[in-house]
Amino acid sequence: MAALGLASSLPLLLLLVIAGAGGARWRGEGTTRHLQSIILGRCAEHVALLNPEQGEKNCTAIWEAFKVVLDKDPCSVFPSDYDLFISLSRHSIPTDKSLFWENNHLLVTSYAENARRFVPLCSVLYGRMGDFLSWCRQENASELDYQSCPTSEDCENNPVDSFWKRASMQYSRDSSGVIYVMLNGSEPTGAYPVKGFFADFEIPYFQKDKITRIEIWVMHEIGRPKVESCGEGSVKILEERLKQMGFQYSCINDHLPVKLLKCVDHSTHPDCALKSAAASIQREVPPLWSEYGGSLITPFLVALASAIQM
Amino acid sequence: MSQMVLVLRNLERVRASQSRHLQRKRKVAVAASPWKCKVRSLSAQESGNPSVDPMANHRFSSVSEEEKPCCGISRKAQICLCVLFILLIVVGIAVPVGILMWRQPPKHKEWKGPGTTAHFYEILLGRCYTYTQVVRPEQRHTDCQKIGKAFTSAFLSKDPCGSTEQDYRPLMELTTQIVPCDKTVFWSKSSELAHDYTRVQRDMYTLEDTLLGYMADGLKWCGDTSSSEMNYQSCPHWREDCSNNSVSVFWNTVSKRFAEDACGVVHVVLNGSISNTFDEKSTFGRVEVFNLHPEKVHTLKAWVMHNIESVPSDSCSSSSVNNLKQILKTRNIIFICQNNYRPVRLLQCVKNPEHSSCKYNL
Repeated sequence: MAALGLASSLPLLLLLVIAGAGGARWRGEGTTRHLQSIILGRCAEHVALLNPEQGEKNCTAIWEAFKVVLDKDPCSVFPSDYDLFISLSRHSIPTDKSLFWENNHLLVTSYAENARRFVPLCSVLYGRMGDFLSWCRQENASELDYQSCPTSEDCENNPVDSFWKRASMQYSRDSSGVIYVMLNGSEPTGAYPVKGFFADFEIPYFQKDKITRIEIWVMHEIGRPKVESCGEGSVKILEERLKQMGFQYSCINDHLPVKLLKCVDHSTHPDCALKSAAASIQREVPPLWSEYGGSLITPFLVALASAIQM
Repeated sequence: MSQMVLVLRNLERVRASQSRHLQRKRKVAVAASPWKCKVRSLSAQESGNPSVDPMANHRFSSVSEEEKPCCGISRKAQICLCVLFILLIVVGIAVPVGILMWRQPPKHKEWKGPGTTAHFYEILLGRCYTYTQVVRPEQRHTDCQKIGKAFTSAFLSKDPCGSTEQDYRPLMELTTQIVPCDKTVFWSKSSELAHDYTRVQRDMYTLEDTLLGYMADGLKWCGDTSSSEMNYQSCPHWREDCSNNSVSVFWNTVSKRFAEDACGVVHVVLNGSISNTFDEKSTFGRVEVFNLHPEKVHTLKAWVMHNIESVPSDSCSSSSVNNLKQILKTRNIIFICQNNYRPVRLLQCVKNPEHSSCKYNL
């Protein structure tokens, strides 16, 4: 009897051992080390260096408000738990500078140029503090979990997702003027995620009386297939939704300045060839006429003349 | 008006009471001015004329009216009181002033440049952790606390105009970061463009993409010999105060090492729209060019960028760039120059997408 009992519980024991030794509890990245220093430092930097005109913010008080969630069960953290944190750290966003996005975090960061060109969520104080970080308490202890943290697949009310939900709502509420949205038209699952932060926590909080119009940019990866473009697939769903809400909107495929930025590390790709390559003088490349012979001189000169005229 | 009347009335009252007081005193004096009377009466007695004292009355009256002492106090006492009064005033002023001065922190020296950045230490540490945990997580085992302390000990309690490379030695020893070969990007008078480039080309590094450069970028700091605090009011200006200031010496020190550690092909983003495209007085011209090791660095590629609106010209053959070429020739390093290197040109186009030189082939 005893032997049978042992035999049946052995696989269970093995599973437990494996879970404890190798596998992490959750699917997401664990708490970022030195979280407090990073958050305080980012707050200080935002206040002192980048936005002194936004007035004094008490970074210590902001951290104290944030840290409350680090005591909670990692599957019981709600967006409202960040209310005090948000109220202490929120500030106005310049009009016409809001940039919403899905599936192109790094591109948005590069394009926004550290808030000089646009102010996306990660350039606003509360967004900056949480950008690229992860945090959660351990499930059954009071310390932070540095191994792993829950994602939405583990449980809905996890610290990180609830943070971004709350931050998104605030960012949306504080946006005004022309609203810009950057989508990834090469994303296989669709450019506009019908269930996502933008769809569920930003669009619903747009302030109709403060917004003039909405401009959508559908960007495609250089040299990759164009899965969706303006007026297609999920982009069409987005357009319909905005229309229904009564917003004036427009859609542009591969908005030029952003495309130029994407071309920086694809400069030799044919999609990135600029018209006036002839205008730049390169010391190393011999002039065209010596390579291809005199027969091409005349059309070349004509092209050059027209380029200069432009 | 009513106030003036009140004041006048008060004065009258005071005078009245004073005169009454004086009268009383006179009477007192008349009645018993102790030692004078006694002396005189004694003298009268001594003079052997006890009964007749013709001067007595006269003297009394003169004493009480002309020679009368203020408020019935003798001359000596008056002087003592006056001295005491003055002393009290002096002490009354000196003590609070002294307390105030003692309470105030020792004053920092005044310089012509902006002071230490507010929240300097928090920003420094926060950046160190962001860099080692998020930006380059392969360096996550870095001890940022130690680095922060080594950084501040390089300038706290020291003369901010007497900074030396030695001061930063402990900090340098804690932070060794080798940039991969062919990935070093120098820059001169082209900060924004160079950093826009490495933000997109994440595998290329400017000095500000290494840990120390990332930590210190855009910050100001200085201390004082008379204090262990940072001077938040002002710091030495490079030109108007002294060139061996804490901040300049830091950048010279880290730039030198950045150049020493480079290998393979190195790059430099230069500004072709200014006259001294290659400036011998810049950090690049003074420090970095001369600390490249020819046995490690075989080629330097210069990308000379012009403002997008300006007419294309060949700055690669300008005299200042030629100067750079000569210096490298004597150091045995190959020099290649490109006007308006394409990827960086594209970055300029992001800001000016409508410009003719940014139009696409259809």
